[in-house]
Amino acid sequence: MSHEVFTQLVDAHYAPLYRFALSLAKNQADAGDLVQQTFFIWATKGHSLREADKAKSWLFTTLYREFLRGRRRDARLTSVEDLPPGEADLPAEEIDRVRRMDGALVLEALQEVDEVFRAPLTLFYLEDLSYVEIAEALEVPVGTVMSRLSRGKAQLRASLAKREAAGPAKVISFPDFKQQKQP
Amino acid sequence: MNNNEAKFLLCAYRPGGRDADDPAFAGALAQARQDPALGAWFAREQSFDTAMAAQLGSIAPPAGLREAILTGARVSRAPQAARRWPVWLALAASVALLLGVGAMWRMRSARQMDPLTAFILHDAQFEKHGGHGEAVSDLERVLENPTTRLASGLPVDFAKLRTTGCRTLSFAGHDVLEVCFGRGGSEFHIYMARSADFPQIASTTGPRIMKQDGWSAMQWADAQHVYVVASSADPAALRALL
Repeated sequence: MSHEVFTQLVDAHYAPLYRFALSLAKNQADAGDLVQQTFFIWATKGHSLREADKAKSWLFTTLYREFLRGRRRDARLTSVEDLPPGEADLPAEEIDRVRRMDGALVLEALQEVDEVFRAPLTLFYLEDLSYVEIAEALEVPVGTVMSRLSRGKAQLRASLAKREAAGPAKVISFPDFKQQKQP
Repeated sequence: MNNNEAKFLLCAYRPGGRDADDPAFAGALAQARQDPALGAWFAREQSFDTAMAAQLGSIAPPAGLREAILTGARVSRAPQAARRWPVWLALAASVALLLGVGAMWRMRSARQMDPLTAFILHDAQFEKHGGHGEAVSDLERVLENPTTRLASGLPVDFAKLRTTGCRTLSFAGHDVLEVCFGRGGSEFHIYMARSADFPQIASTTGPRIMKQDGWSAMQWADAQHVYVVASSADPAALRALL
């Protein structure tokens, strides 16, 4: 693969890959490492992939595999599959809630979603992959992706509501504090 | 298909109509058009998903990640290119290597170069440089002073430099600071990283010089920092800085 083609591939996919990595790894340094490692593997192995349109799925799959390889899966991953289905109805205020919050807070809420749901949910919101491609990238059946999206959205709404209820840290200035302490 | 089944499917329908041609959704979409309750639920779901996608899309990758990926890939391909060298060139390289044995300074080829130094040499040659702030100016003055011996310790406040305008790159997820300075008519670029972020480099003893494409890099470390000075000047000019 020529340098120009590789540069085009990086330009097309490094930002969504980073967002996906950030939702998984929960910190910028590890997310950056995951993206670099993914392209490193592409540079050394992936260039043999003949179908150019499969490159996107291949990159997401490789990043996810590298993430899984990098940490030990715990028992929680299986237990969360038994959660009850999410709420069927979506109050209108939840839509406004997402619009009101800034990207960092929304990302924090997304990072609170259990990893087994978070991975397909992030790929869904990145909008680069269809549910079939998400299933391929995560190497799970299509029906499992749909189930995890449904449950993941329910967890995400709960996480968003919790974050908004907590609100920004309230700073009380010294004079105000003194005033409050007065009887 | 009842409404719960339709909802299950429509949860995977991306906002913006990108899945409109997918026949798997056709039945559920038709049902949403006919059933007002399901239609209202789907409209709210799509609004929520649109807002979430916009928020996620607003997160920008850190500065320098793209460059680190491209440089890292270039470095990773270098050994493959080396294997394609003709035999005579490999022999010439061997002779050159033998001539270098016994020299006081270890000169490393691109194949042996650690990725951080390769990244730095690429940055020094091809990227735009610049920084500002009082801390950067103070350090520049120290570096440009001909009596300053770099290896005897530099007044580097990493956190202050990083937060007050020093040019900061990201390599393998770690911050690398860069300051340009001149001495003896030559231009140099000093790169500084935390030793804890690059333990392999930090654990090596003594300064070393590496050359690539007419540029040289000198690398050393102390307890706090890993330093690499890159320049197109002669390696002797680099040694003189120590």
